[in-house]
Amino acid sequence: MRVTRTWQAGLTAVAVIVGFLLAVQVRTERSIETGLQVTSGRMGEVAYRYRFAEQRQAALRQRIEALRGQIGAEERRAISGRAAVAAIAAELDRTRMLAGLTALHGPGVIVTIADSRRPLRAGEDPNLVLIHYSDVHAVVAALFTAGAEAVAVNDERLVGTTGISCVGTTILCNARRLAPPYRITAIGDPQGLRAAMLARGGVLDQLRAFDFPVMVTVAGDLRVPAYVGGFEHRYARPIVAH
Amino acid sequence: MWLPILGLLAGLALGLLVSIQVPLSYVKYSAIAILAAVDTILGGFRAQFEDRFDLRVFLSGFAVNTVFAAGLTALGDLLGLDIYLGAVVAFSIRIFNNVGFIRRDLLGFVWRNRPAEAGKL
Repeated sequence: MRVTRTWQAGLTAVAVIVGFLLAVQVRTERSIETGLQVTSGRMGEVAYRYRFAEQRQAALRQRIEALRGQIGAEERRAISGRAAVAAIAAELDRTRMLAGLTALHGPGVIVTIADSRRPLRAGEDPNLVLIHYSDVHAVVAALFTAGAEAVAVNDERLVGTTGISCVGTTILCNARRLAPPYRITAIGDPQGLRAAMLARGGVLDQLRAFDFPVMVTVAGDLRVPAYVGGFEHRYARPIVAH
Repeated sequence: MWLPILGLLAGLALGLLVSIQVPLSYVKYSAIAILAAVDTILGGFRAQFEDRFDLRVFLSGFAVNTVFAAGLTALGDLLGLDIYLGAVVAFSIRIFNNVGFIRRDLLGFVWRNRPAEAGKL
């Protein structure tokens, strides 16, 4: 009887343990099969594939990160490039204006000079009643000296390479022949320019003394056209400072 | 003799009710251990039928066989060798052996009650 009892007790205890383990094992195996679609025996293979996939994913993630960084750098470069382009465009606009390639408007004065209408006396030199290129040049120089920012003679803009010279009975300004009356428009401080024009002993004072019709008008808003000629530098080269 | 079977059923029910799972990396080892445990139980039945049941032998066999089977499988994994196949084959053969002996013991047990036919297996 005693042997029977120990037999039953021991075997029952072990049976409970084994039953428990068996149930747990079966449940685990079922979950593996439903979850991974393989039996536990092939889990090593799955783990290998998983590791492989993980490595691949890590590499791809790194690549994404690198590409994101590249995109950011490119974007920053594009933005700075756009800023540089805008700065260059602004600089170019300013340079064009300084070169006289843009039409301008603003307050200033209009100086009109014309040949004298006084009839020539017998034997008198006709040059005495004509406006010469030097007169126009003197007026323009006086205007620039008084602070004119843009000057045009008969709507021909004066720029850095403009020469005013004499061609027969007309004046050559840039590549255009100008005929009297000469209408010189200048943008700048109107009162300052006017004062410079009407100065005692000035260019206009002398012209007036010789009976040339001279007129100075202050304009609130006058227009100066753009220079339409070309700039050619066949010999001049910039000096590059190092 | 029904008590161990009831215990087995109770253990199964408990295992199904409790939401414990074997960690995935130990599934292989626990499977071998269970195979060894099943073999031990059948061996216990057989020993009882042959009237040579020893509780110490039974319990130590249970403990050592399960642990050793699992350990051998782990060693096989370390060596990259499928040693667990050996354990599976060995325990399977033993299980079949034990079942066979139990069957004969049961048959003998039945026939021992008929004196005329005793001794003729």
